[in-house]
Amino acid sequence: MSDFSGMEDLLQDFLVEASDMLSGVDNKLVDLEKNPNDRNLLNDIFRGFHTIKGGAGFLNATHLVTLCHLTENLFDKLRTFEMSLSPELMDLIMAATAGVRSMFDTLERGSQPRTADPALLDGLKAALAGQLVVPAAAQGQPLGAVPTAPPPVTVAPVTVAPAPTAAPSPQPLSPKVGGASATATPDWDGLFQAVATTTPAPVASVAVAPLPPSVPAVAPQVVAAPAPAPAPAPAMPSLPVVAETPEQIIAHAVGRRTIDKPGYQGPPAGRRPEEKTRDNSIRVDTGRLDQVLNLSGEIGLTKNRLNSLRSDIINGRSDSETLHSLDQSVSQLDLLVSDLQNAVMKTRMQPIGRLFQKYPRIARDLARSLGKDVELVLVGEDTEIDKTMIEDLSDPLIHLIRNAVDHGVEPSAERPALGKPTKSEVRLEARQEGDHIVLVISDDGRGMSAERLRAKALEKGLITDEEANAMDERQSYNLVFLPGFSTKDVASDVSGRGVGMDVVKTNIQKLNGSIEIKSSPGKGSTFTISLPLTLAILPVLLVQLGNQPFAVPLSMVREILPIDIALVQEVGGRATMVVRGEVMPIYPLPFLLDWIPERTPEYGVLMQTSEHTFILAIDGFMGREDAVIKSLEDFRPKGVAGVTTLSNGQIVLILDMKELMSNLGGGRGVPRSTFIPPQALAA
Amino acid sequence: MPVDHAKIKFLVVDDFSTMRRIVRNLLKELGFTNVEEAEDGAIALQKLQAGNFEFVVSDWNMPNMDGLTLLQTVRADERLKTLPFLMITAEAKKENIIAAAQAGASGYIVKPFTAATLGEKMTKIFEKLGWT
Repeated sequence: MSDFSGMEDLLQDFLVEASDMLSGVDNKLVDLEKNPNDRNLLNDIFRGFHTIKGGAGFLNATHLVTLCHLTENLFDKLRTFEMSLSPELMDLIMAATAGVRSMFDTLERGSQPRTADPALLDGLKAALAGQLVVPAAAQGQPLGAVPTAPPPVTVAPVTVAPAPTAAPSPQPLSPKVGGASATATPDWDGLFQAVATTTPAPVASVAVAPLPPSVPAVAPQVVAAPAPAPAPAPAMPSLPVVAETPEQIIAHAVGRRTIDKPGYQGPPAGRRPEEKTRDNSIRVDTGRLDQVLNLSGEIGLTKNRLNSLRSDIINGRSDSETLHSLDQSVSQLDLLVSDLQNAVMKTRMQPIGRLFQKYPRIARDLARSLGKDVELVLVGEDTEIDKTMIEDLSDPLIHLIRNAVDHGVEPSAERPALGKPTKSEVRLEARQEGDHIVLVISDDGRGMSAERLRAKALEKGLITDEEANAMDERQSYNLVFLPGFSTKDVASDVSGRGVGMDVVKTNIQKLNGSIEIKSSPGKGSTFTISLPLTLAILPVLLVQLGNQPFAVPLSMVREILPIDIALVQEVGGRATMVVRGEVMPIYPLPFLLDWIPERTPEYGVLMQTSEHTFILAIDGFMGREDAVIKSLEDFRPKGVAGVTTLSNGQIVLILDMKELMSNLGGGRGVPRSTFIPPQALAA
Repeated sequence: MPVDHAKIKFLVVDDFSTMRRIVRNLLKELGFTNVEEAEDGAIALQKLQAGNFEFVVSDWNMPNMDGLTLLQTVRADERLKTLPFLMITAEAKKENIIAAAQAGASGYIVKPFTAATLGEKMTKIFEKLGWT
C-alpha cells in the first residue's frame, strides 16, 4: 500500500528534516514581510526550497520537486533583486509553502503527493514570467478561509488583472518540465569535458573565472526538471490565464491544512487516525547518546563484577571483604542506573522551539484574515521538554494562540482610541521552573470580565445563581473551560464556538499539567500552563495510612514533622498547627480520601502547591523513591495521578494533591474532629 | 596505482543530513564503506586538512561555505589540490557545470541519481586517476 516500500527510513528522515526546514522557512517568511530586502533571509529561504527539492527528487516525489522548483526560482529572482516582493507575491509564496506542507502530509501517510493545485502552479509561473497575478485584496484576505466563511468586511473587490498587451519575456520554463529523462538531457557531459579540458590548470583557477565567450550564458530558468516520471504540469502558455483569483488559489492551497480550517475545533480526545504514523523518529544530539552508551557500558562492567561476587558467595565466601565489595557494587549500580535513567530521559528532551516555529505563520495568516496586525513574540525556544509532550501540546497551544488573535486582541483600527499601539502583541513564552515547564500565552488585548463570564455561564445554564455568587475571580475565569461555554453570541468562524477550551484543558491535564487564567479587562489575558518536566519518572515520598502506602510527589514536600494532637488547635472551625510561628491548616489524609480514620495521625508532611501550603496528616512513612509512573489508562479515580510499583513488588497509588485539595472547595480547612477515629470518640 | 575500493576514504559534504545518508547508502551499494560526513564547506575543509581523505563528494548549495568555494579552496591548497572531487548539483544548469569544471571538479552529478549513475561517474574519475 505504501508508495515507498524499501525507502521508509529514508522517507522518515526526509520528513523530519524537511518539515523542520519548512517551519524555518515559514518563520523566515514572516520575518521577510517585515524586511523584504534582507538578502540573508532571501538566500536562506531559497536554499530551503532548494534542499527540499533535492531530497524530494530521491523519493521520486515529482510534484513536490516541481512545486519547490518553481518557488525556488521565484526566490532566485528575488534574491538577485530581479523582482521585488509585493503583498500579492507574498501570499502566493505562503500558499506555495502551504502546498509543500500538504504534500509532506501526504508523504507521511505513505503516498506520493499528487500534483499541486494547478491554480497555484499557474500563479507561480505567471509570477516568474513577471506577470504579477492580480492586484487583489491583499489586506484582510481570508487566508485560512473555507468556502462557508462569510467574506470579511474589509475585502476589496477582486479584479482580474488585464493581461499585459506585450509580453516580451521568454517562457520561464522549458516545455520539458518533468518530462526529461537522462537520455533526453543535452550533452552536459560533453560540455563538462570540453570546459574541463580547455581550462588549462584547474589548480590555478581559484577565483571564479568569467564564462568563456564561446559558451553563451543561459537563463537559469531554462531547466529540465530531473524527474524520471513525466509530470502532468501543463506546458506553459506564453500568456498565463489566471483561472482563479489569488484568494481561490490560496484558499485551496491553505485550506488543506487541517489546523488552518476555521471550523477546526481542536482535536478529539483521541489521536487522529492519520497521525498514527506521525513523527515516530527523533533527532538526538550525539553527545547525549554517547552518554547513554558510556553508562550502559559501565553498568555492564558492574554487572560482571556482581556476577563474579555471586559465584564467590555461592561458593561459600562471605568474609567482610566480599560483602564490602558486594555493597560497593550494588551502590555503584544504583548510581549508574539512575544516571542512565536521566540520560535516557534527556534523549527524549527536545527544544520547544521546534513546536513554536509553526506558530508565527499561523498567527500571521489568522491576523490578516481578521484585519488585525499581530506580532507573535516567542520567548524561551531553547527550553527542553519531553517529546511526547511536544506533540500533545501542539493542538492546545494552537488553540490558545488562535483564541488570543481572534478573541483577545482588538482590530488594529480600534486600538489607537484605546491608547494602544496599532500592532498588538501576543507572547508565547516557555521556561523551566524547578521540575516544571511553564508555558505562558499572553496578549495585550481586551481582557475578560469575570462578571460577564459569570453572567454568560448563568445564562447558558452551566452554573446556578448560588454558584455564581460564590465564585471568586479565578473561578470565574475557569468557566471558559466548561464544555459548551462561549462568550461570543455569534461564534467566530475562526476559533470556533467554545468547544475548544475544554479540550485544551483536558489535553493539558492528560499531561499531568494545569492551566490558569489571569485577565484584566482592557489590558489583556494570560494563560499559564504548568507541566511536569517528564512523564516518565517522578520522585515521590511514600507515606502510610495503617499498612497502606501512598505516594505523594516529592516536589511538593517541604518538610516532615511530628504531630502532637494536643497542639492541634481549631481556629475558626479549621484544624491548624503552628509551625515556627506560622499557622498552617492540617488535612488528615483519610479525610481527603473519604476514609474513616483508624487511628490518630502521628506525622505531618508540610506541603506546598501553587495555591496552598498545608500539613498533610498521616500515620507513618516508608521513605522516598523514584517512581516510574504507570498511568491508569481509562480508569482514573479522582485524586489519583497514577500508580507505581515498589521494589518489593507492591503497587502504590500516586496521589494528585491538587485534585484532592479541590475536593475541599478552595482549601477552607477541616474541623479537628476529623482527626479522631470514631472508635476513639465512642470510647 | 591500483586501489582497494573498500578502503578509499570518502568525505560526503551536504547540509541536509537526509542527503548525506542517501549518498552514503549509494556509496555503500557500490562497495565504498569508508565514509565520513561534513555539514558544510567550512567543516569539510577542516576535516580535509586534518584527515587523509582520498575522495570528496560535495553538494553545491550549502550555508557558510558552498561546494564551489570548497572546491576552489581545495584546489588552491598545496596538499589537497589533487584530491578527487565529485560535485553534486541540483540541476543541469549550464553555467553551474561550467563553473564546476573551471574550478577543477573531477566530475559532477545531477540530483536525483542512482547508484549506477554514481558508479559510472566514479569509474570515469578512477580511470583518469589510474586507480583501476
